[in-house]
Amino acid sequence: MPNLYQSARHWVTMPMLISFVFLFSIPFWIKGAGLYQYLGVEILIWMIYALGFNLLLGYTGLPSFGHGAYFGIGAYAFGLVQHHLAINVWLGLMGGVLAASIAAALVALFISHRRGIYFALMTIAFGQVFWFAAVKMHSVTGGEDGLLDIPRPDALFLSLDSNTALFYFAFLFFCIVVIGLWRLIHSPFGKIIKAIKQNEMRAGFIGYNVRLYKFMVFVISAAIAGLAGALFSMAQQSAYPDVMSLHVSGYVVMMTLIGGGFVSFWGPVLGTAVFFLARDILGAITHTWLLWYGLMFMAIVMFKPEGIAGIWQGLVARKSKPNEEDISPVTLKEASHGRNASV
Amino acid sequence: MEKKSISRRNFLKKTGLAAVGAGATLYGPWKHNRVYATATDKPILIGMTSDASGQYANSGASDRRGMMMAIEEFNAKGGVLGRKIKYVHMDTETNPATGSRVAERMITRNEVSFMIGAVSSGVANAISQVAQKYGVIYLNSNSSSPTESGKNCHRVKFVWDGNGTNFAKAAVKNAIDAFGKKWMLLTNDYVWGHNTSKATRKLADAYGAKFVDELLVPQGTRDFTSYLLKIQQAKPDVVAAAVGGDDQKVMRQQVAQLGMGRKPAWINNQQDWPDVYGLPLKNLFGVFGTTWYYKLDLPGVKEFVGRYNKMYPETAMQVPGNVFYNGYMATRELLSAVERAGSTNNIKVIKQLEQLKVSAKDRMQHFDAYMGPNHQMQQTVYMATANDEKAWKQNKNDLFKIVSWAGPQEVEDAGAIAACQMESYADTATYDG
Amino acid sequence: MSMDFVVNLLPFIVNGLSLGLLFALIALGFMLIIGVMELINLAHGSLFALGAYLAMVLIAPSADWMGTFGQWYVGLPMALRYSLALVAAPALVAVVGMGLEVCLRPTYGKDPLYGLLLTFGAALVIEESIRVIWGSAEQTLPVPPGLSGPFLMGGLIYSKYQFFASAFAIMIIVLVWLFLERTPYGAIIKAGAHDSEMVRALGINLTRLRLFVFGFGTSLAAIAGIILSPIWGLRPHVGVDAVIPAFLIIVLGGVGSFWGAVIAGVLVGLAVGMTSAFASEWSLLSMYLLLIAVVTFRARGMFGKKSVLEA
Repeated sequence: MPNLYQSARHWVTMPMLISFVFLFSIPFWIKGAGLYQYLGVEILIWMIYALGFNLLLGYTGLPSFGHGAYFGIGAYAFGLVQHHLAINVWLGLMGGVLAASIAAALVALFISHRRGIYFALMTIAFGQVFWFAAVKMHSVTGGEDGLLDIPRPDALFLSLDSNTALFYFAFLFFCIVVIGLWRLIHSPFGKIIKAIKQNEMRAGFIGYNVRLYKFMVFVISAAIAGLAGALFSMAQQSAYPDVMSLHVSGYVVMMTLIGGGFVSFWGPVLGTAVFFLARDILGAITHTWLLWYGLMFMAIVMFKPEGIAGIWQGLVARKSKPNEEDISPVTLKEASHGRNASV
Repeated sequence: MEKKSISRRNFLKKTGLAAVGAGATLYGPWKHNRVYATATDKPILIGMTSDASGQYANSGASDRRGMMMAIEEFNAKGGVLGRKIKYVHMDTETNPATGSRVAERMITRNEVSFMIGAVSSGVANAISQVAQKYGVIYLNSNSSSPTESGKNCHRVKFVWDGNGTNFAKAAVKNAIDAFGKKWMLLTNDYVWGHNTSKATRKLADAYGAKFVDELLVPQGTRDFTSYLLKIQQAKPDVVAAAVGGDDQKVMRQQVAQLGMGRKPAWINNQQDWPDVYGLPLKNLFGVFGTTWYYKLDLPGVKEFVGRYNKMYPETAMQVPGNVFYNGYMATRELLSAVERAGSTNNIKVIKQLEQLKVSAKDRMQHFDAYMGPNHQMQQTVYMATANDEKAWKQNKNDLFKIVSWAGPQEVEDAGAIAACQMESYADTATYDG
Repeated sequence: MSMDFVVNLLPFIVNGLSLGLLFALIALGFMLIIGVMELINLAHGSLFALGAYLAMVLIAPSADWMGTFGQWYVGLPMALRYSLALVAAPALVAVVGMGLEVCLRPTYGKDPLYGLLLTFGAALVIEESIRVIWGSAEQTLPVPPGLSGPFLMGGLIYSKYQFFASAFAIMIIVLVWLFLERTPYGAIIKAGAHDSEMVRALGINLTRLRLFVFGFGTSLAAIAGIILSPIWGLRPHVGVDAVIPAFLIIVLGGVGSFWGAVIAGVLVGLAVGMTSAFASEWSLLSMYLLLIAVVTFRARGMFGKKSVLEA
């Protein structure tokens, strides 16, 4: 009989509960902290995006520099559903997830058998193709002017017009995505993708259809990006091609890494918060905040690639119990000593 | 055992729903009706939403300087309605998502009274939507997309720049008379490019021009040689180029190198001063438009430039241009409107701005200007070319030679006025900064 | 009828070739670093831009801040200053490049992803630094008057500078080839590209080799920037336009192949030049589509050898 505590932990862990409670409380004190509700919404949405992205980057080891395309497609799909099908939030979100998934599936057909540099290059190329399409098909997307006047339809008779209401609506999805991803990573599927990250060839030799798993991970992470994009189009009430640019696609890579996506499930969450807070607070002081952020990013990659979560884990490592199940993408030890080259 | 874990899950679900409900009731119907006791010591806060990085960083800086000069002038006179004017600036990064966030921050955290500033149309749209939601007046000082005051117009938004259609109207007839009827279009493949070329084509057709070709230039093009070779082969009288942003800078470079600036005749659309200041004279080929020039022989211009030099002695741009001018004018007229309205209530100020008329003398332009029904300032439009070498050698700042100007009625963008469908006053939240 | 067509086509072919040579020049430094270090240097574009900015400073510095020396310097003939910049600016960028190599050292032996990400961060930092130092305004990189201006050929106007640039690109390509093939240092670099373990076993200082290759590769990026900036303009993010063609050329030509990079460069130039002429709206997209097609059907490229980079 599995231990009660263990089986519950497969769904909801203490860190998860803490984060849920913490995030839930944000709208109550965010103004008092000198910030504003919209920032909370944006951060939460990007956390969803980054969590999905880390499934690909941190857990499977596949670097995608063009993930903004799926975020953007999700946003456009939501808007187009509202404009042309029906003003319905559930339909819109489904449309966003579906559109992003289909686009990702098409792309994954081309790249799911690649990894490393070639994989990255292809994601860049496809990302640019989607950006280009968004700008060129301006009769559909509005081009650089954007797809505007996207409404925030009511969710089950609750109005989402206020940023706070939208925050809690996004929070609902945040919880679903967190629990879902946790479950996924905890499952045999999660073990396989971690194996793929460690050594793809070996995983193939054991008998797993590596290409299929990479395909699935790519689509799932894009679907989550699409969900985030759809939520974002509600926040902004518009959708623009800019999220698909190489520059902005790079942001989610940086956030995930700095937060410690390589060693921790919560890395992307931390990284997103740090990025947006740094941008908002530093950005109000100086126009060169991106320079400082870039330097910090470089320093972290050079000296502490496990990121913020890695630093935290290092501090806590001494106190950890030996029989705690390890669900991180890569153990701290592995990360600090560097992986062996997978030639 | 099982029951316990299920109930924990349920508990989470219930609190989740309750939270959404609580959130909704706490913050209820979204129309904010914020009224502050108009304390005379609460300053008027202007939110500057201009780019400080990205493609339009340079223009954004110029825009801001114009706003700051106007604010300083009012503060020297004791402010507006007895209140000092303060400002806060955040970089919109030429990125619409950042624009939305900056607008939300300025309104909900900084509690600005008004927002001013834009060059990129995407960013301006993002900001306008947020502004309209809360009812905050937003002045789009420098975005020249025809859609700004057309299908993307808003009750709270006011546009201060001429748009692609205005300039096309000013240029086309003169160009046909001066150069000929065989035309070619060079169109940047995005919304602004297409709208501008469409307007040019419609006008030129009406005057009997024949278009031999339209070449599409995707955004990010760095090699214009192929286009220039095709133009040489087609031998048109006039090339109407609707190419903007960085693409235009590259195009100027390459056309200048080929010495093709004189033949065929080039009609470029509006040329922003910050984009050409400091470049070699031969890059400034063809005819292009602007809303103002620092050497216009009109009363008040010299003093205006003098005030600029006094306030910004260190800046690389030694004389102001149209972007600075638009930022200044937008801010000045806003503050004057507030004075006339006697309050910062947004509906009152909007109504004042909607009836705005500024004399030519006050505008330092040739014609009187007035606010159009679609909230675009209708103003004089100038056509210029590069100055003569001799004159430029004596004064490196004197890049332009103004060749003609047209009054606002002549260049009116009827299409935008027709396409604009603004929210009513009733549908616009009241806001009082 | 068809003769007419060919005659009309010729100018575009010529332009495509010249463009291709310039692309090959851009890709050279990129290729060297990939070949020896097995590392994609995403900072290639920013270093490209940095080279151009430094050259601009060296060619026409504002005389004011340098006093009498400045006055004298600006008085020197343009050709002299230009040549000086063409040598000194890449040297300065090589120093920056070597600094980048030092930063990369903690990532060796780890997942190559870290190295890639570090160069991505470096690209950002360098570009932002350029913006901070020189501002966001469009600037010009002056060229000696003898090199600029139009010239007539076959009844059409071409740019003198573009042809000078292509000729210069050919010269650099030949020089680099000679260096790699005919000098002992070149042999070491090629060996290092082939098998770095062996090179170390032979007693060659791998650290110094890597440092040198990085310096050399980044200086080539700078040279490309100096040569291309009078055509493409000069602004902080001008480097972004260089990186994507560089990727494509390396992939198309094959990792680690010198002539692969050169031939691929010419092909990409022709592709962009020809689509510009006949289907101009697709001219930029054609690059990405070509990249996708090549990686899909022949990831090794035309002349590539199997490398660690391949999947």
